Amino acid sequence: MPINEVKPATGGFSFDNYARNTMLNDKGFKAPGVIKTGTTICGCLWKGGLVLGADTRATEGPIVADKNCEKIHYLAPNMYCCGAGTAADCDATTGLISSKLELHRLHTGRQSRVVTAMTMLEQMLFKYQGHIGCALVLGGVDINGPQLYTIAPHGSTDKLPYVTMGSGSLAAMAIFESRWKKDMELEDAMELVKDAISAGIFNDLGSGSNVDLCVITKDGVDYRRGYDRPNERVQKERSYKLKPGASTVLTSSFRKYVEVLDGDAMDTS
Amino acid sequence: MAMKGKNCVAIAADRRFGVQLMTLSTDFQKIFEINPRTYIGLPGLATDVQTLSELFRFKTNLYKLREERDISPKTFSHMVSSTLYEKRFGNYFCEPVIAGIEKDGSPYICSMDLLGCINHAKDFVVSGTASSQMYGTAEGLWEPELEPEELFETIAQAMMSAVDRDASSGWGVIVHVITQDGVMTKTLKARMD
Amino acid sequence: MLDLSFLPSGRGGAVTDLPDDQDDAQTFAMDAAAFSHPSFVLPSVADPVAWMKHQMSDAAENRIKMAKGTTTLAFKFKDGIIVAVDSRATGGTYIASQSVKKIIEINPYLLGTMAGGAADCSYWERELGRRCRVYELRNKERISVAAASKLLSNMVYAYKGMGLSMGTMVVGWDKTGPALFYVDSDGQRLKGDLFSVGSGSTFAYGVLDSGYHCNLSIEEAIDLGRRSIYHATFRDAASGGSVLIYHVRQDGWQVISRTDVTELHYQYAEEPRPSLL
Repeated sequence: MPINEVKPATGGFSFDNYARNTMLNDKGFKAPGVIKTGTTICGCLWKGGLVLGADTRATEGPIVADKNCEKIHYLAPNMYCCGAGTAADCDATTGLISSKLELHRLHTGRQSRVVTAMTMLEQMLFKYQGHIGCALVLGGVDINGPQLYTIAPHGSTDKLPYVTMGSGSLAAMAIFESRWKKDMELEDAMELVKDAISAGIFNDLGSGSNVDLCVITKDGVDYRRGYDRPNERVQKERSYKLKPGASTVLTSSFRKYVEVLDGDAMDTS
Repeated sequence: MAMKGKNCVAIAADRRFGVQLMTLSTDFQKIFEINPRTYIGLPGLATDVQTLSELFRFKTNLYKLREERDISPKTFSHMVSSTLYEKRFGNYFCEPVIAGIEKDGSPYICSMDLLGCINHAKDFVVSGTASSQMYGTAEGLWEPELEPEELFETIAQAMMSAVDRDASSGWGVIVHVITQDGVMTKTLKARMD
Repeated sequence: MLDLSFLPSGRGGAVTDLPDDQDDAQTFAMDAAAFSHPSFVLPSVADPVAWMKHQMSDAAENRIKMAKGTTTLAFKFKDGIIVAVDSRATGGTYIASQSVKKIIEINPYLLGTMAGGAADCSYWERELGRRCRVYELRNKERISVAAASKLLSNMVYAYKGMGLSMGTMVVGWDKTGPALFYVDSDGQRLKGDLFSVGSGSTFAYGVLDSGYHCNLSIEEAIDLGRRSIYHATFRDAASGGSVLIYHVRQDGWQVISRTDVTELHYQYAEEPRPSLL
């Protein structure tokens, strides 16, 4: 592309740096880590709808990068989606599908259906052959009632009454397998999902911090961010506030903001 | 590294540019002003630091022409995020940190991984080769509701303690404290080895 | 004479027992014990060298070596030898310590410097110290620096290719006057007037070579050594901490100073820049 030609963004991925990065990698350059959500996410159906649940830990290798991140993503007013795996992929993929669903709703004037979202996610992930690393739990309520799906990174899907995903999925599934029943009450379902996520938080090293819940019924959504906080940091015993002048300063400057106000209209008489 | 304070934010970086073990420069710019109330820190591969800083200058200038206003820190961080995610397969080696003050006066900080996954925090964000050290120092020193002067001392000490345990960071530290009425910029006396 | 007859003969106890007219067989037995290489259990494989080479090729991660990056230097001048080193120990880019003593005092007349694997250097130079002492007891005179450095060189050469990592300078004063040898784990041994070893050595050489001549005064020589190490710590990420300086003279070594390089940086920054001509 000539240097003076600025084209509008066309969308889609750019592979401009790919060859360069392969070269750097071969030369032994070590790339910084990618943030992942070594995660516990799950969802289950109950009498009047469904409950989605997620922990709130994001990791970069052995480091906890974010102690309170949001893993239950908005897709549509009647649909939410939990994401596990490469955090950037989960954010971008759910964001993209959510935008497509909104356009679709504006086009058709009808509520989005869960299968539509599921198919869009499935086709997108299959197209990228697992290179987009997200494992999703999709839940929503439409004219066909409450539905729950899992979508694996390669694009395979499952439709089940209770599902788990992520590194803590085994711990969470153990809770569901022993306690889930058909047509539960809301309180029982919320308690069950909370316990399933807690099992992941306490037994899986990749999961941690708080429990987020999202209850979806035909009447609407009840998003409960920080539904349970079993890992609050204890208050520091004393203050470690530093005294002014603790650091030796070599140069110092202060720049005041310049406020630009709209002046009077130019006198054109 | 960036930290929130009471109606203010601070962003700090070291000043070294080097190739593996060899230090080539000790006044390398890693923090860039996007507009008076928004700053971005770009640690990582030097070529990408400069490519990205120019790209964001270009993009925010276009934004300003189109919207006739400065881009807010939050909007800007999403611009950065999508710029990075566009290169999901063939990424830039850079993990940005953004700090700024929103139009309503509220402090804003976030960090990103090299694919553009945004990380919002209520206290502080860190990034770069000394990140594990910075998590430790910042977790120990940060407190809520710090005034600008206190925030400066906190971030300065957290930064200096961290880079003193990383061989590939240091050689001077620069701190910007963004307050309601201006930006305070200071360079610190630090270890030069 | 002290009665040491209760000690088992052959090992250390035999030294004072020796009659003046020692026979060859006994001398040989003692030499074999006192001068044999300390033996490590080698990996029980057909070819230990090839096996170690394989182990260390892509499995470098599981082998954390401290003090890998270093700057050390030593040079002769008219009033003896100056030895100067930094004090940083790193594991990867992590700074493990800023206060490592990289000059090993083998005995009051011999010094060894440390670069490469810290454990390798300290172990083998300790072993060298033991053997120099045995030599002294055996021959009733101090070992020459040349002989001492050769002992070290021969010891590590026995393990060549099996992962030892050391680049050291053996410095001292003997009958011939001041002596300086470079010995490394590849088995190389060089005699010289000026050496610098470690990741920061190129930077140190730059300063050292431009300021070095044989007729430096003691003060000038110390300052040159200190500046050289400081400039290496500035450019080399793996060197830092403080500069430790020793001076070797006819009556043995002497500790000169230990200075934090941060102090030096701001002190040197105050000085007027020397003109380029």
